[in-house]
Amino acid sequence: MRAQSPRHSFFSHLQPYLLIAPTLILVLMFNVLPAIKTVTDSLHRPARGLNAAGKAPDYVGLQNFQDLFDESHYMGARFRRAFRNTIVFALATVVIGVPLGLLLALLLNHKQPLRGLWRFAVFYPSLLPLIGAASIWSFIFSDSIGLANAVLKSLGHPGLNWLGDRNLALLSVIIVNIWKQAGYFMIFFLAGLQHIPRDIYESASLDGASDLQQFASLTLPLLRRTLLFVIVISFIFAFQTVEQLQALGEGGPNDSANLLLYLIFQNISERRNWGYVNAMTIVLIGVVLTFTIANFLLFERDEGN
Amino acid sequence: MRQIASVTKTVIAILFLIPLIFTLLVSLRPETEPVTKGNIFFGSELTFENYQRAFVIAPWSLHYINSIIFVAGVLLVQLVTVTGAAYAFARMRFLGRDLLLIVILLQLMIPSGVLLVQNFRMINTLGLFDTRIALMIPYWGSAFGVLLLRQTFREVPIELEEAARIDGANLAQVIRHVYVTNAIPAYLAFALVSVSTHWNEFLWPFIITRSEGIRPLTVGLNKLIKTTDQGAFYGQLMAGTLIVIAPLVILFLLFQRQFVESFARSGIR
Repeated sequence: MRAQSPRHSFFSHLQPYLLIAPTLILVLMFNVLPAIKTVTDSLHRPARGLNAAGKAPDYVGLQNFQDLFDESHYMGARFRRAFRNTIVFALATVVIGVPLGLLLALLLNHKQPLRGLWRFAVFYPSLLPLIGAASIWSFIFSDSIGLANAVLKSLGHPGLNWLGDRNLALLSVIIVNIWKQAGYFMIFFLAGLQHIPRDIYESASLDGASDLQQFASLTLPLLRRTLLFVIVISFIFAFQTVEQLQALGEGGPNDSANLLLYLIFQNISERRNWGYVNAMTIVLIGVVLTFTIANFLLFERDEGN
Repeated sequence: MRQIASVTKTVIAILFLIPLIFTLLVSLRPETEPVTKGNIFFGSELTFENYQRAFVIAPWSLHYINSIIFVAGVLLVQLVTVTGAAYAFARMRFLGRDLLLIVILLQLMIPSGVLLVQNFRMINTLGLFDTRIALMIPYWGSAFGVLLLRQTFREVPIELEEAARIDGANLAQVIRHVYVTNAIPAYLAFALVSVSTHWNEFLWPFIITRSEGIRPLTVGLNKLIKTTDQGAFYGQLMAGTLIVIAPLVILFLLFQRQFVESFARSGIR
């Protein structure tokens, strides 16, 4: 055993803490404490009336939440629409985007000419800034000169008001999201497919199983974990990716295409409704947290400690 | 089956590429000609006037420099914080290790992107509103990076560290020459995810800055979008969009394989 000076050993005990301190402090400052502060602030409302400036916020209990869940309240009505839209937006992405990502992975998994080009074609949207992607689509969806309506008109249809029609606005946002995410989902499926040994397909073909039978009885069950994972993260992303709305109608007429985080962002930009903003953030954290914990329980546990 | 597959593949690829192709085409058409007029692809002539006009509205070179400083400033600090923490969690024993790791992983469960109000207030309290530091600081700690590198560091044979110690290497030297050197692919993966994520960030930079002088490209593009709303100058908007997205598309073409692999690891970020 080597003799150590007390000074040396004191520092070597401190070492690990010094190494993690920066990350730990940053996470406490920008994630943990703000989350806690959101909880307490959601129970308050800025002081009103004369000389309100500089006063401490009033404690209002659960009033902010009650208003949010009250349909007749103006903020409650907005919250309800945004929350419902976010769920629809998330579900649509899962139902259409995830199978599309899987299909792309199946099509582009094996060696083929120009594979790099094919993968670029479907993956590049997920690299673009959301606001850039949205800007591109704002042209495609544009009323008078847009590409979508140019195609419709050449087919004899008068054209649609993609971003301005309250029944269409959310669909337009969903189309953009699927285009943006499908290639991203594809790479998880490509990674999953690589773990499936080739030879099980060979024996299946020898047994006379068709491609479709092989897919249903081998590929799909073996990709079950990847599939679950992609579904969970696509839900998590749906609640966090909203800035495309900045170029795609800003939530549509009468919030018909608004999403929860974007509604929060709008209120922050306008510097108002702080109490509701905090209460809505709590709801948002609750949803994201639920899905992330589900993700951890399903997948992280067996990756080993 | 083969034929169905290649037809499907071609149709999807074309559909996915159309937005990019038309962005390019519209940016090169004369502004006054809608797609329905003249030659559908090129209009009556090819022109760069949209690019010139886009440059008048927003100072793109300034926004470029701002974006580069932003992503580089985030990444460089991240590399330091992440390496230290990853080494401590991978190879050191200390009281409270598992608990502290869980605290750091809370970042994945409560991403700072949804904590806009409180972080906005925190920055105001610190007196950092409208500074470059304010832009970067929430991203300086990365739980994703810690997890990724901790896993990679664990796969480095412990004998390498022991040998370096016997040669008299101190902690910093061990981390640098044994661990960092053996984890370059993981660092590249982390860097690609970090750079592309922050290059694309919009909500936080928009809320936390006011001066043109420090705002990144995404916020510049937003300004162009708002200008376009009023006059429907899509040619210049598409030109501006291409100016913003070009670096990432080029980066992807250069590092295609690494991108795909590193994004595959980034489901949690």
